[in-house]
Amino acid sequence: MAAGRVIKELLRKKLAPQSSIPPLLSSFTIKQDQEGIGSAGMKSLRALALLGAGVSGLLSFGTIASADEAEHGLACPSYPWPHEGILSSYDHASIRRGHQVYQQVCASCHSMSLISYRDLVGVAFTEEEAKAMAAEIEVVDGPNDEGEMFTRPGKLSDRLPQPYANEQAARFANGGAYPPDLSLITKARHNGQNYVFSLLTGYREPPAGVSIRDGLHYNPYFPGGAIAMPKMLIDGAIEYEDGTPATESQMGKDVVTFLSWAAEPEMEERKLMGFKWIFVLSLALLQAAYYRRMKWSVLKSRKLVLDVVN
Amino acid sequence: MADEELVDPKNYLEERCKPKCVKFWIEYGKCVDRVKDDETGHKHCTGQYFDYWSCIDTCVAPKLFEKLK
Repeated sequence: MAAGRVIKELLRKKLAPQSSIPPLLSSFTIKQDQEGIGSAGMKSLRALALLGAGVSGLLSFGTIASADEAEHGLACPSYPWPHEGILSSYDHASIRRGHQVYQQVCASCHSMSLISYRDLVGVAFTEEEAKAMAAEIEVVDGPNDEGEMFTRPGKLSDRLPQPYANEQAARFANGGAYPPDLSLITKARHNGQNYVFSLLTGYREPPAGVSIRDGLHYNPYFPGGAIAMPKMLIDGAIEYEDGTPATESQMGKDVVTFLSWAAEPEMEERKLMGFKWIFVLSLALLQAAYYRRMKWSVLKSRKLVLDVVN
Repeated sequence: MADEELVDPKNYLEERCKPKCVKFWIEYGKCVDRVKDDETGHKHCTGQYFDYWSCIDTCVAPKLFEKLK
């Protein structure tokens, strides 16, 4: 950073003519006064100096940016998600497992208030299974004929339950940090799917010289490095219904697939529609191009003859 | 059937990728030695740490999902 400034000063001094004009203004006055003089040598020297000033400016930005590494968080790698191809669908067995991970590991702190039980039907559960899951929760329902609120078992139309009544309660229970709602989290974070997977499986020892205060945990992918959530995915923490070994990465992959589905349930239909309509529009483009060229051929094949009579 | 001993493929792959990233590991080690002697509390090795783990991540990522269901 200091080197950049020194270079800038040197260049400015080179630019300044042998007069008493302060160096700051010299670069501007040269442009206006010496336009008439403008010899090739002066012009190229000026151009070179300005280029050098620009480069040293960029270089100083470089040194500033690297100091913010921890603030941006470690860049996450790209994992080969099975549903990332142009015509690839979700792995629905993975969505089902991921829901189990959410239910047993995450739901105690994170809400998913935009997902209803009925959304799961046909995606990861049968209607009976979803009804049974919904019936396990208690829901407060609107005033009855006597004007009183009452609780009833959940139905398919109910949203997934919220662990806390409001944000303040959530913050109070989590040391001031708010566990975000996960309904749209993979769309709400840059490179969401890779980021969430890297975050969940990326709890490591902090680098030398970095200390995290009590109550926070080190995670290189989290901007700033200090996250309130402790490591939640631990080998064997849950037992999958289908017997898959519940390793940390397996749970991470499944829960991120579930969260991707929750954020983009329309993905499969969207890809099919996209593929179909891009194909149709390409044919339409070819047709339109042919038709345009056909109509314009009359004008494009005109010949103009200039007949000069002396 | 249910394994009594769960081995996370990610840890296994990270071990396998360490030799590829040994250059960054050495740089991190050098930084750790420099920082050890420092008492100002402002020096840290985040840069070298990030370089090392970035190398490991790009090595592990393409291979991990093949090992998962």
